[in-house]
Amino acid sequence: MKTWMTAGALGACLLVAACADPDAEQRTYANSDLELSPSYRAAEVCSCIFVMGQDEDFCNRWTVANPNVSTFRVDHEKKTVESSAFMMWGARAKFVDEKTGCVFED
Amino acid sequence: MGCPIFTAVVLTALVLLMPFTAKAQSCPSRSDWPTEEWPDRIQETATRKAAEIQALEDYAFTRIGKDEERLGVRTDGVVIIHNGAIVYERYVAPYGPEKRHIAWSVTKSVTSALTGLAVGRGAVSLDDSICDHLEIPKPESCQVKLGHLLVFSSGFDWTELYEDKSNQTSSVLAMLYGEGRRDMARFVAEHRLRDTPGTTFMYSTGESLLLASAVQEGVQKTFQKGDTFPWEWLFDPIGMKTAVLEKDAKGHFKGGSHLFATPRDFARFGWLYLNDGCWAGQRLLPEGWVADSTTVSEPFRTASLDAGSEPQGRKWWLNRPVPEQGLPTRPWPDVPADAYAARGHWGQSVTVIPSLDVVVVRVADDREEGAFELNRFLSLALAIVEAP
Repeated sequence: MKTWMTAGALGACLLVAACADPDAEQRTYANSDLELSPSYRAAEVCSCIFVMGQDEDFCNRWTVANPNVSTFRVDHEKKTVESSAFMMWGARAKFVDEKTGCVFED
Repeated sequence: MGCPIFTAVVLTALVLLMPFTAKAQSCPSRSDWPTEEWPDRIQETATRKAAEIQALEDYAFTRIGKDEERLGVRTDGVVIIHNGAIVYERYVAPYGPEKRHIAWSVTKSVTSALTGLAVGRGAVSLDDSICDHLEIPKPESCQVKLGHLLVFSSGFDWTELYEDKSNQTSSVLAMLYGEGRRDMARFVAEHRLRDTPGTTFMYSTGESLLLASAVQEGVQKTFQKGDTFPWEWLFDPIGMKTAVLEKDAKGHFKGGSHLFATPRDFARFGWLYLNDGCWAGQRLLPEGWVADSTTVSEPFRTASLDAGSEPQGRKWWLNRPVPEQGLPTRPWPDVPADAYAARGHWGQSVTVIPSLDVVVVRVADDREEGAFELNRFLSLALAIVEAP
């Protein structure tokens, strides 16, 4: 199962590389969708739940992105949101307080 | 004739006091300020303007397609302030008057205000280099001044793209969620200068974040209030009790994108600008700051613009023609020319119309590009406040 997922992730990486904008003049960044997606999800789901006061179901739909390759887990006690893509890429955001909202922990 | 010495003393005192007297007089006088609550005239307006309200709601609150498709106009909430009272308010569940909404780039206009507050107190100057306040490893970037950042004129090689475009070329996504997320100000300042600062105009979330970070450090150095000044100097005095301004992992405010508040509180921010930066008779923003912020900026008038650019002041969107840039008509032709707005991704807006004494706040989730028209929305909203 894990081998299949790793192969899938590598395939996704190759697909991303193949589809990258070929415009040589435009700067490209090292981050792939597999990094961006869980990081976006962790930050914005954390804010959605702990700052905006919405529920997990709403925040899941609110943060659907393209490509939608990440899942997330909420710890309501610690007020953290962990998100990952294919168990290899991930990010964690934590709600700090009522003024600062959520920040990345990693 | 009287005593000449006495006359001289009185005249000197008057001259010395004149600046303070002039400043106090320059603030608009109003009987009520909504620091605690907005006065409520919703019911009275609903009775008097039923047809106009229906027309607004038909446009702004009619959803199409399946929820997960997120098509068309998707308004989450609207608040209209007229003559200092709420005259219209509506939300779509799960939003409501107590729920915060993300402001996205409305945050940039708040950063502009925070800059004004810091300038007014002498913590920073618009002539300061970013290197006066931040550790910037690239000497070339020290040419960039806070004044350049205030009008999107840094010259950094920045690509302002959002989701569903090209994730790998988007500087914004790289800053907020990618390689720049741990120290966003440093990430922005490490970009090469594509143009000489002050000679170009390019709308940029990175510049706004960099400005907020430099101002934060300047206030920290001068007043040791870098982390608290947005509340102490802005949000608390105007009663924006729900304001949350998020930070990056380095501790700098995400001043281009991540302010959260309720629509009623966003209206308070608009009300501050409508009243020339004064609140309850006290001047918060420096005299002239609002006027300068709502005048088409020099870079916007003179630099080459990307197609589709709309007139900007100091991080405020303006309803002004700029014929010298091939923009002969106002962007919102059915709205008074003195209107200006703080605007954000997915359709957020705080529009101020001084000539009508109106602030219109809209929070939204518009994902379909081009589906929502601000001009149409505002003209329908303003029909509610027009005299019968």
